Amino acid sequence: MSSRLMPGVLDNRRFLVFALLVPVLAFFVVFNTIPTLWLLGLSFHKFSLISGMPPEFFGLRNFEDIYYNKNGIWGDLGRTFLFVGVGVTVQTVLGVLLGFLFWGSKDMPGRRIALTLLFTPMVLTPVATGTFFRFIYDPTFGVLNALLTGGLGMGVVDFLGNPKIAYWAVLAVDCWMWTPFMTLMTLAALGSVPKAELEAAEIDRLSWPKRISLVIWHHGKFILMLGILLRTIDAFKTLDLIIPMTKGGPGQTTRLVAVELNKQSFESFNMGWSSAYSVLLLLISIAMTSIFIYILNRRRRAR
Amino acid sequence: MVKIVIDKVTKRFGPFTAIDAMDAVFDDGAVTCLLGPSGCGKTTLMRMIVGLEQPTVGRIFFGDRDMSGLPPRKRNVGMVFQYPVMYQTLSVEENIALPLTQDRSLSAQERDKRIDEVLDILDMRDKRKLFIGDLDAGSRQKVAVGRAVARRSDIVLFDEPTTNVEVQAKLLLIRAFKLVTQRLKQTIVYVTHDQTEAMTLADCVALMRDGRIIQYDRPADLYATPATEFAGWFLGNPGMNFMPARKTAAGIETPLTAAPVAADAEVSGNGTLTAGIRPEHVRLGATAAPGAVPGVLKDLSVTIAGRFIANVRIEGDTIVKVKTDEAIAARPGDTVYLAADPAGLSFYSDGNRVAAAVRQSQ
Repeated sequence: MSSRLMPGVLDNRRFLVFALLVPVLAFFVVFNTIPTLWLLGLSFHKFSLISGMPPEFFGLRNFEDIYYNKNGIWGDLGRTFLFVGVGVTVQTVLGVLLGFLFWGSKDMPGRRIALTLLFTPMVLTPVATGTFFRFIYDPTFGVLNALLTGGLGMGVVDFLGNPKIAYWAVLAVDCWMWTPFMTLMTLAALGSVPKAELEAAEIDRLSWPKRISLVIWHHGKFILMLGILLRTIDAFKTLDLIIPMTKGGPGQTTRLVAVELNKQSFESFNMGWSSAYSVLLLLISIAMTSIFIYILNRRRRAR
Repeated sequence: MVKIVIDKVTKRFGPFTAIDAMDAVFDDGAVTCLLGPSGCGKTTLMRMIVGLEQPTVGRIFFGDRDMSGLPPRKRNVGMVFQYPVMYQTLSVEENIALPLTQDRSLSAQERDKRIDEVLDILDMRDKRKLFIGDLDAGSRQKVAVGRAVARRSDIVLFDEPTTNVEVQAKLLLIRAFKLVTQRLKQTIVYVTHDQTEAMTLADCVALMRDGRIIQYDRPADLYATPATEFAGWFLGNPGMNFMPARKTAAGIETPLTAAPVAADAEVSGNGTLTAGIRPEHVRLGATAAPGAVPGVLKDLSVTIAGRFIANVRIEGDTIVKVKTDEAIAARPGDTVYLAADPAGLSFYSDGNRVAAAVRQSQ
């Protein structure tokens, strides 16, 4: 019976497209659209999970609180932007250099093993990475301090406890973890450059800067910019790397936006205020993405 | 002006031998076409000449300079690739100028003069300000040609440059190549698997098979007197007809001749030969004629220039392809008569040409 019914239904193209899209759309609406709208609604309410009171309409009070720096969130935002800016820049520069290194050594023995080792940080769970580095950075029995005092004869450095160093120590771990990602994107970008054009550039005796600007950049820029965009969005949300290392301390020196948001929402259950904060962060993310896409498209239009 | 000398060059990729102990000289100022079926090593040979690959064994000389180990940028060669390479952020004019700007000894006026000259030859004057998006594949390839020749390097190499171009543009492109090669007296090596292209462009054709050059000759000679059965079969469309022949006291007997024919050279061996004749050297008639042999017409089709190609089955189940100018009044299945023009008949032993038929003086 069904065999008689199904072909007719499946032959209808419009129905087929619809049928294939429905599961994804349903999933998206249930787990993305509805919570986002809920979040938007909550951001105008006073709502705490521990008080047992129903949400109380609050107008723009939550956003006023944010504007007047409740919980010191402008400091968090500043630290986060610095984290994203410095982190993504370092990762991009190192990643591109490593990418060129691996690209130019295709016949080297052991290249595959080296690549595999290089990519391991990226596939680790950030929580595990953070925990490992807490031990590595530990002032009393950490391996890094053992090397510094025993090997180099320097004093003990409390990497995660010293407010002047902790931020950069955490940033270094982020770079350790995500530079391989930029290497991967660089290799993908270089792989998209047609071989004949590179060979032609060699035969035409072009200098390396010319080769990069005329051939490699032209073909590889889209993939590389995509990598930078993904890293930017991801770095903006950094949380699970920091929790096991410093939990935002010492003081507030490593408190990024996501750390504070996590604390306010899932430790203090301050849902109304957290929702407003989330909305703000979402808007910032959308703005950054739009700027990237604009830059990419403008470059293409200019050609 | 330099000639290219290939000195006992072997190239292996793992267990596969692409070029097998090759010796060759490509004359200076001449266009040499490397012609052969896919996988015969012609592209590998060219990539070794340009320096993109290094020979496993042997050396390559430009004139008397040994090129071993030199990268392409130090060899002063130009090259046109199969895939039309045009730097996408530069206009036609800037593309052609780019390799020239690397040469600091060239004055700005001289550079402009050369660009103009190249644009003239390629008939692209009106397209000089255009970018890659405005051009079709044929024009892009012309830009690549312009960039390769404007430098006036001693040697220019072409790697199957018409493969990615549609038929109509291909003919225009080949005409442009011909003009370029005639005007600029550079040593040119042109790789192709298209015999028409090779015949049109080449001063000399190097016919390649399995990593070796099996014949190096002027195009007309290569076509008229192929040194091997392979050359006879590969060149021509359709290729040469082959059939068994036998040496007897009276001459050489072939299925296509009523009487034995005399050979112009002494043929040794046990007398088992192969006779080869091009389709245009077989005459097709509807009625019996002196010296003609009967056969059954299998099919008859029209080909370019209004000529006909017939497949005829003769004695010994041999199918003979015949190219003829006139249609004959016969239908498939009818008996027709074939006569071989002795001028086109040659004999092969173990795949190599050993003799030709002597022209009868009747």
